[in-house]
Amino acid sequence: MERRTFLKTSALASVGLALSGTAAFAEWKPRRPVSIILPYKAGGGTDSYARAVASASDGLFPVPFVVVNKPGSSGITGAVEASRSRPDGTAVLLTSAGSFLLTSLLRETDVTPLDSFRIVAQIGKLTTSLMVPMNSPYQTLDDLVADIKARPGEVRWAHTGNGGFHHVAGQGFLDSNDLEAVGVPFKGGSATRAALIGEQVDFGMIGIQQAAGFENELRPLALNSDQRDAFMTEVPTFAEAGYDAVDVSSPIIMFAPKDTPDDVVAGLEAAMKEITESEAFINAMAERGNAPVFLPGPEAEANLRAMKDNVSSIIGALKSQG
Amino acid sequence: MEIFAALASVLSDPIILMWVFAAAIVGMVVGAIPGLTASAAIAMLLPVTFYMQPLAALAFLYVIGKSGRYGGSIAAILFNTPGTAASAATQIDGYPLSKRGMSSKAMKVATLSSITGDYVGEILLIAGVGIIAAIALKMGPPELFAVYFAAFVVIGSVIGKSITRGLASAALGVLIKMVGLDPISSEERFTFGSFDLSNGISLVPLMIGIFVLGEVFSQLEARGKPIEQFDDPDNDDARARNRLTWAEYKPCIPHVIRSSFIGSFIGMLPGLGSAIAAFVAYGEGKRRAKNPEEWGKGALEGIAAPEAANNAVSGPSMAPLLTLGIPGSIIGAILIGVFLIHGIQVGPTLFLTQKELIYQLFACGLVGIAAYGLIGYYGASFVGRFILKIPTDVLYPVIFLTSFVAAYSARGSMFDVLIMVIAGFGGWLMKCYDFNPAAFVISFVLAGGAEETFRQSLLLSDHGALIFFTRPVALGFLIVGVVAVVARARSLSKQAKEASLNDA
Repeated sequence: MERRTFLKTSALASVGLALSGTAAFAEWKPRRPVSIILPYKAGGGTDSYARAVASASDGLFPVPFVVVNKPGSSGITGAVEASRSRPDGTAVLLTSAGSFLLTSLLRETDVTPLDSFRIVAQIGKLTTSLMVPMNSPYQTLDDLVADIKARPGEVRWAHTGNGGFHHVAGQGFLDSNDLEAVGVPFKGGSATRAALIGEQVDFGMIGIQQAAGFENELRPLALNSDQRDAFMTEVPTFAEAGYDAVDVSSPIIMFAPKDTPDDVVAGLEAAMKEITESEAFINAMAERGNAPVFLPGPEAEANLRAMKDNVSSIIGALKSQG
Repeated sequence: MEIFAALASVLSDPIILMWVFAAAIVGMVVGAIPGLTASAAIAMLLPVTFYMQPLAALAFLYVIGKSGRYGGSIAAILFNTPGTAASAATQIDGYPLSKRGMSSKAMKVATLSSITGDYVGEILLIAGVGIIAAIALKMGPPELFAVYFAAFVVIGSVIGKSITRGLASAALGVLIKMVGLDPISSEERFTFGSFDLSNGISLVPLMIGIFVLGEVFSQLEARGKPIEQFDDPDNDDARARNRLTWAEYKPCIPHVIRSSFIGSFIGMLPGLGSAIAAFVAYGEGKRRAKNPEEWGKGALEGIAAPEAANNAVSGPSMAPLLTLGIPGSIIGAILIGVFLIHGIQVGPTLFLTQKELIYQLFACGLVGIAAYGLIGYYGASFVGRFILKIPTDVLYPVIFLTSFVAAYSARGSMFDVLIMVIAGFGGWLMKCYDFNPAAFVISFVLAGGAEETFRQSLLLSDHGALIFFTRPVALGFLIVGVVAVVARARSLSKQAKEASLNDA
């Protein structure tokens, strides 16, 4: 029933694009389940995307998607494994590509997102934001900036780990406005949020979706994006608040091993488009405060290359500090 | 009182009850299999729960966590191979009892203590979820570091005959923990360019290696020697030896109560977990015991203390998880994922939006404790008697095999298997040369969190280490730690002097 209504809407919605998509589908017929290698532990943010893909693909894709968690080394363990998989569409990598890119720039890694893989499609996006505790004296970004200027090097801010995209975004905001503050890394999003609610720090950079359910504890002051969030619509972007920032976010991208043939990549891309447009997927994401953001492979790749250029100066600064 | 309504609704729902009982059994089995931990089992069973009702899914995993912590004691007592890190303290006194043919008695003590600890924790959670969450929130990095510092003292209580070798084992644990990415700067340390090492050494394969493989190697060494049959099964004498009387359990009760509160407190703090709770309770119990000379040689109190503490962690650790989204353990982190997958946002609003579900989950916890308690009390001792009939030359090869499976399955990594094998030889050599595997594992477990919170504190401080003295809670725990170290050092030096006098 649900499937039928979906098929109808998707047919209507994508008359033009469907032609190329279904054509590719016809060429590549997956026979074995597709493993989605997820380089993080079960239950995290990126994991929920993979789970939603797997459950929403029922009826839309001829074989099931199987989520395989391969955590370790900030997501590199799983990426290495995926890059060594057979390039026939039986294994793909779904990862937070911003973190993957930054890790590959900051550390010597065996794999990089742009050289070791083919980009299938982007299916979502994690956006970071600047938040303060509810009792904080800072009502706006101006208040915070004034205080950082008054006490250079004394304001403390929390992020989810050095070299992560929250850290780079926060440092980027501070650097581009000539501000000096001390960053304190915590392990992961929930620990960072707890440190912020517990007022261990003055402000924090965490994903905007982390504020869902914590509306009475946290006050987001600015979003690091060129447009406002689909759910937290009242939070201004850095540009709207009047400050420069570095455009770094973390798109959730599906990668295929480098030698995967064109028809397989095209088939997977078309499937991702269908799945991310399905009601089941949209609902699953909305519960977490995320909106699906589908981008075809070439566009996702162009954005990732642009981000690489954007962050190069901060990466240089971080490396020389380290 | 919402909990009574929830309890009634859970008890009248056969499907939920079935899941709770299934979880009690699954948890006990995986906990009992050396090396296969409850958190690994939960991670493996997680996909199954996506297709279940939210309450059934959460209750299933929650109760596995509880009974898994208890199940670990079975292997620790019977084979000297703790099923989980949390039961590594239990083997110190549990295995000597088994050797004397009193494994069933040891397991009854473990069961009674585990359920008492678990009930104390669960009731504290139900009564004070808001207060516990508020405490957890106020524990910033300096306070947490002070708690870690105070917890390091327990190494002193497991140190065996040689103090220097015990301390060297602890230092080695810290050193091994340093391998991997620096927690603050994310730089690589001691990785020698190896990609696998950049991920650090994980606890599960290390622990399986040190305790389980180490024990298998020791048994291998003893091959050829006449096999000591330590349970002459099923005669009246053996039965009498394994009957647990009230007079025997009575001295354990103060230890169980103290340990339950130690465990509950440690459960409130994010990141410390059951293994630390068990060792702190063991150390504290030994220090206060009337018969400290018997501890380590098969004192029933030495089983009661750690077992009560490691299960008491379970309840209170749910408070920061549910109200603040801070997972206190790996199991907690997985549970958050389950909430999210079922479309339930954990956080301060949870008790407004999902009050009924949460109290039903707590009620399932209460039922689950009773379930594993009953199965354990009557079942585990039976299983114990049965397993001891299996000759060691069949049993230890099976344990040897499962440790490989367990080391691999935790993360699906061959590197972890290698770590386990190396740690196995390490653990065996440590035993041969009187080094102390328990001290090694405790310091390994504590070092990571201690370093991270220490360095976070320094970053938060305007005046370096002064931050530990300006925050009263942190200062309080530091003083507790220093006082305990001094007291411990004095009693150890007294022991050493007595020993040298005896030698002379």
